[in-house]
Amino acid sequence: MSKRQLAMVMDLNKCIGCQTCTVACKTQWTNRNGREYMYWNNVETYPGTGYPKNWMDLGGGFDAAGDLQPGVIPNLEADYGVPWDYNYDALAGGASFEPNVEPTWGPNWDEDEGDGVFPQDNYFFYLPRICNHCTNPGCLSACPRDAIFKREEDGVVLVDLDRCQGYRYCIAGCPYKKIYFNPKISKSEKCILCFPRVEQGLPPACAQQCVGRIRFVGFLDDEESQVYKLVHKYKVALGLRSDYGTQPNVYYVPPTESPVKFDANGKIIEGSDRIPVEELEKLFGPEVHDAIATLKAEMKKRKETGESELMDLLIAYQHADMFRLDNTYYQNVAKEKGLNPLAPVDTRYIAGKYTKTAHRINFTHDAAAAAGGHH
Amino acid sequence: MKTIATTLLSAVLASGSLWGADAAVTALKVNSDLSTVSYASDLWKKATFSPVLLYPQTTIRMNDKKANAMNAHNKAKKAMVAALYNQENIVFMIRWPDNTVNVQKGMSTTSYADGFAVQFAGNFSDPNALPYIGMGSEGRPVVLHLQKVAKDIYEPNGNGDVAHQVNRNQTDLFGKELAAFDKKVASLGSSDYERSFVSEGFRSMTEIKDGSNHSYARIHYLQNKKSWEGTLSRALKDDYVNLNAGAIPVAFAVWDGEKMGRDGLKHLSAWVSVKLQGMQGGEALIKALDTKLTGDPKAGKAAVAANGCVGCHQIEDSDAPNLMGPSLRNVGGYSTAGYLKESLLKPSAAIVPGYNRNAHSAYPWYTLDKGVRVSTMTDFSWLDEKTQNDIVAYLQTLKAEVE
Repeated sequence: MSKRQLAMVMDLNKCIGCQTCTVACKTQWTNRNGREYMYWNNVETYPGTGYPKNWMDLGGGFDAAGDLQPGVIPNLEADYGVPWDYNYDALAGGASFEPNVEPTWGPNWDEDEGDGVFPQDNYFFYLPRICNHCTNPGCLSACPRDAIFKREEDGVVLVDLDRCQGYRYCIAGCPYKKIYFNPKISKSEKCILCFPRVEQGLPPACAQQCVGRIRFVGFLDDEESQVYKLVHKYKVALGLRSDYGTQPNVYYVPPTESPVKFDANGKIIEGSDRIPVEELEKLFGPEVHDAIATLKAEMKKRKETGESELMDLLIAYQHADMFRLDNTYYQNVAKEKGLNPLAPVDTRYIAGKYTKTAHRINFTHDAAAAAGGHH
Repeated sequence: MKTIATTLLSAVLASGSLWGADAAVTALKVNSDLSTVSYASDLWKKATFSPVLLYPQTTIRMNDKKANAMNAHNKAKKAMVAALYNQENIVFMIRWPDNTVNVQKGMSTTSYADGFAVQFAGNFSDPNALPYIGMGSEGRPVVLHLQKVAKDIYEPNGNGDVAHQVNRNQTDLFGKELAAFDKKVASLGSSDYERSFVSEGFRSMTEIKDGSNHSYARIHYLQNKKSWEGTLSRALKDDYVNLNAGAIPVAFAVWDGEKMGRDGLKHLSAWVSVKLQGMQGGEALIKALDTKLTGDPKAGKAAVAANGCVGCHQIEDSDAPNLMGPSLRNVGGYSTAGYLKESLLKPSAAIVPGYNRNAHSAYPWYTLDKGVRVSTMTDFSWLDEKTQNDIVAYLQTLKAEVE
């Protein structure tokens, strides 16, 4: 457990599956060098196969006794999908438009399919997923090299690339399959919660770019943060598959609003709800019933009285309120550690926990400082 | 020159059925340069190959479901090892059977490499207190050299060459310039996956990147023999080890990419004694590694049952779950008698750190006392010496049969 924990809340009632978060993440971190196939942030259709394919059936996480469960490592072609490109250059020469590899699978292959029978009771919703920066990470426990660590300052889970030897047990150990193997460098990589942005007071790229403003970011111990209010005060934001025992720190406001169902004759079934609550219970645990009740009650209250802190909060008026990142905190950490305030507050992800000084490649700003600071 | 008689003897000894003591492998002294010897060198014609048995690692079970199923019934492999040395360097060749060539590919998340490693002890002055075979133990460091068969690997922390890290589609290059860019990027990859590590036990293993050790490893597949041939050349003395001795302990490990081998999914030998021909000393080490204790395995088996060892250790599949304590299923294959006895009498002397303590939090293999690891195993020094030796003799029989 870290001293403090950064957390994200995603309001699934508002996710429109536009993939802007996915693109923000991809262009920022994963568009090159063996990461082409990775989506540190993805938005999948639920119910559906998800990304990677059937990730919920691939093991990992902990059982009730606290034992790490074995898991399966997804295959690039079959489970993630090979990223394909098109022959744009050849088009000028009269060639037909062709992909460079035969696309057989990819993320969102089953987008918007969902489940049920149209038009009676078909349904789906979007499930955006990033690394959960778990309090009890399966990846960390699985690593035979102690190459994965959780930052004391904010609980961000990172891979120490110097120690990582590409064994891939972390992928088996993560029940969310949100850590990926980079075959080009033979090391594992994952969502870093945009820590270089966060340390400077900016939210992660996925949260900043979200057009539906579904993502709230803040410290869980900060009672003024909206994250705290949604998770602890109103208890309407719940962890995804908490039954895996990793104590995830990305929370979801379950989808409560869906159209009514029709019967075989096309007549409205009064009071029906297209999204089966059993599915929500599977994803978010039994607490989902209370969360839904609270959301419905607050919505009713707002309609009747015009007052509801929770509803105002979920409307997400201001980025400034949604993101409370406290960069003064990081600057103080840097100060305490005698670090350059622009440098990351924890350098283990490059330096290596057991790496002797002589074996380190120096990435700090010391050289620049020695040469007179600014250049 | 090694005689036929001693060669035969060492062959028999490696299979552990004689009480006499001769080194398992003899390194011949040569005058040629050995700093970059590969499998292709003519020098190997002079060398004598001795058998070394490699047992499946079963002390801890990894968390890869598919790989575990594939490796559940592994047998031991018989490798042939030869060694040469001169004033500065020592070089080993290991030849081991493997029916398939497995290369870690550039565009796959599920391909694994064949490979081998050679391990040296930082200190072997007390041959009965060698570093733990699984990458050393606290206060008893080892140096490891690893060679895997990999397609080009592009190191992320290289020289900060960001310009060549962008996706080719995002450059503003076309035609010849783009081809030149691709060529430059290709040249930045390395297909020689050779690494050296210093380690004091599982998880502490750290790559040596400062050039403070010299080594040169090569690997080559013999299609006709369905075997790999790996060579490792290293300095006799560097910051980590000093191999200028009459005999040295060396251990070998091989990985089979076909069975998703990597890290703990491997076959490994016990510490093997290597006699440096013509050098004085080393008798104590050879005796310790190649002499069987005169215990009675049958009585040992009874003592193991009587003392409740299977309450924590797995000896057969039906015993305690693997995660309760180090599994002993192949302990006889890759442990020396000295290690087994030390572990029985002083369980905290060389601790198998095993799993991340959080992975199986209900079953810690050790506790921490002011940062010092203390084994959770009871100390069995109260047993009489005969029983101790019987137990060690029994544990030495615990190993998979040879393939």
